Amino acid sequence: MTLISPQAALIDQVTKEFPSGNDVIQVLHGISLGIDYGKMTMLVGPSGCGKTTVLSILSGTLSATSGTVTVMKKRLDRLKNDDLVRFRRRKIGFIFQQYNLIPTLNVAENAAIPLIADGVAWEDALNQSGRMLDHLGLGPHKAKYPRQLSGGQQQRVAIARALSHNPALVVCDEPTAALDAASGQAVMALLEEAADDPNRAVLVVTHDDRIFSFADRIVRMEDGRVIDDGLTQPLPPKGLRR
Amino acid sequence: MNDENELKLRSSLMVSFGTQPRSRSILGMVGIALKMLMGDPVKYFGLVFGIGFSTLLMSQQASIFVGLLTWGANPVLDVRQAQVWVMDPRVKQPDQGQAISDQSLYRVRSVDGVAWAVPYARSAATVKTMQGNIAAVTLVGVDNQSMVGLPEENLANSMSAIRGRNAAILDGNTQHLIWADGRDPIGQVVEINDNRVVVTGLTSSLTNFSGLPTLYMKYSDAIAITPPERNKLSFVLVEPKPGVTPEDLAERISEVTGLKALTRQQFAAAGTQFIIENTGIPISFGAAIGLGILVAVVITALTLAMFVAENLKNFGALKAIGVTNRQILVMVLSQALLVGFIGYGIGIGGTAAFLYFGQADPSLRGFKALGEIVGGSALLVMIIVLGSAYVSVRKVLKLDPAIVFRG
Repeated sequence: MTLISPQAALIDQVTKEFPSGNDVIQVLHGISLGIDYGKMTMLVGPSGCGKTTVLSILSGTLSATSGTVTVMKKRLDRLKNDDLVRFRRRKIGFIFQQYNLIPTLNVAENAAIPLIADGVAWEDALNQSGRMLDHLGLGPHKAKYPRQLSGGQQQRVAIARALSHNPALVVCDEPTAALDAASGQAVMALLEEAADDPNRAVLVVTHDDRIFSFADRIVRMEDGRVIDDGLTQPLPPKGLRR
Repeated sequence: MNDENELKLRSSLMVSFGTQPRSRSILGMVGIALKMLMGDPVKYFGLVFGIGFSTLLMSQQASIFVGLLTWGANPVLDVRQAQVWVMDPRVKQPDQGQAISDQSLYRVRSVDGVAWAVPYARSAATVKTMQGNIAAVTLVGVDNQSMVGLPEENLANSMSAIRGRNAAILDGNTQHLIWADGRDPIGQVVEINDNRVVVTGLTSSLTNFSGLPTLYMKYSDAIAITPPERNKLSFVLVEPKPGVTPEDLAERISEVTGLKALTRQQFAAAGTQFIIENTGIPISFGAAIGLGILVAVVITALTLAMFVAENLKNFGALKAIGVTNRQILVMVLSQALLVGFIGYGIGIGGTAAFLYFGQADPSLRGFKALGEIVGGSALLVMIIVLGSAYVSVRKVLKLDPAIVFRG
């Protein structure tokens, strides 16, 4: 398999301001950050430090006030809205803190949403998502509804949804925040496996220090700035971390 | 490329056109939207039955309203043989008896373009039966020779049954208002203004606004048994000569005689207009129909707004994942259309059932769900559901997909 480029995503000198009444709050202060293929990058820091804003900008769901955002060699800030939406649908997988599964769709249908939205025929989409669910150990639960699953299982369905269309970048927002320790470890193990793909990058935003050991790289943020980049502090080999 | 290969390529393009990813993605998202809707049975059935109830209210009340208005025109519509009605200039509707002189008949006959003109008397009367019942009736006198003025449908005996002296043909649909015991009216003797009248036949006339039974007699017999007064001729019924339009003839008759002359359609419309202008029916039915529209708007708008609001996070997640605003618009509109179609079907079906089974009740006889009512209700329901859906979905369209990351 050919490595496309060392970095799946790159933000350069990105700032973000939000209006607040008559004032403007600057959340990001000229952040530059690259997300590598084949690695799990964790963005950590206290609440309100801007890590979710970075994730939103990197995933194209929020525009930067200034600076450049490049994902898979595409300048997101130069894409038209429809092209940006299509780009997200095809190239990025999303995992949310609250899973955001549609309660009235069964597990297989939930996992197939990105494929269905992209025009894959319903049956083909279900087959493709079904294979992913099988891989994630959710085969017996395909016909169940989210309410019939535990939190950990629901998050695994969300992972299946994020990976079903084989995206090159997977962004995860606090994926273990609503899970107990064991479920969190299981979910992270699946994400770690996803990150092992040399054609995929995984970015995890979290403040759950129980899962730091899964990271290939930890980037610490505070007050809208990167204060520490784990690239300079290599972690022990994966097999020795847990 | 040879012809055969080009043909194959064209065929494959045509086949794939119907299933291209864009239309598949729209269909797929519609499927997801409908599952989202039907997975919430409270709102789904609330919407369906809300729309169904309001459709029922709108279409059923509108049908009754139109039916009642038609009653005002029915005495005219019952007379199919004559195209022009001539009357006293003060007459506004067919049940308003203001007699004109007998000479009027001859003056009308003398107008150029008249093929024939016959007398027609219409007045209120009271009948007493041999069993002691008393009933108010509308007494109609039709031309002795031509029988113009009789309804065309006979239920018992032929129309010639009226030719005997003091013989009458009764409207069979309202005979129960005279004989509630269900006895056969044929051969029954009734008394009108101290004159004995024998019922010799039954006809079927359209329901009129007074709701009274109609008794048809020869013109000469009818005017003979009504109380004495100078004039007894209510209307002159006229047929134009070939090549003369009823409108032109009516105008000409008015100019020559100074009487009021209206075409059949104009006089029927005047009967309807009289009800609209002189009764509270339009207001009461208008209020009921308005209530139906209000129910539809309130239930649909509120329920759809609640549904969208409760699914806002899910819609946000879909937008983040890469579902376009166009797809979301199609999703919400398809949800609205589905409940609109089902609700409308239930409502219009209810109206159809009401009118079908209502035909057994004489007071509802002849009421119909006109095409205009069926189509108008459908249009209103679709405007309401699509409008409500659009108002609801605007919030989603403006939704920032990054909301899904904000806890």
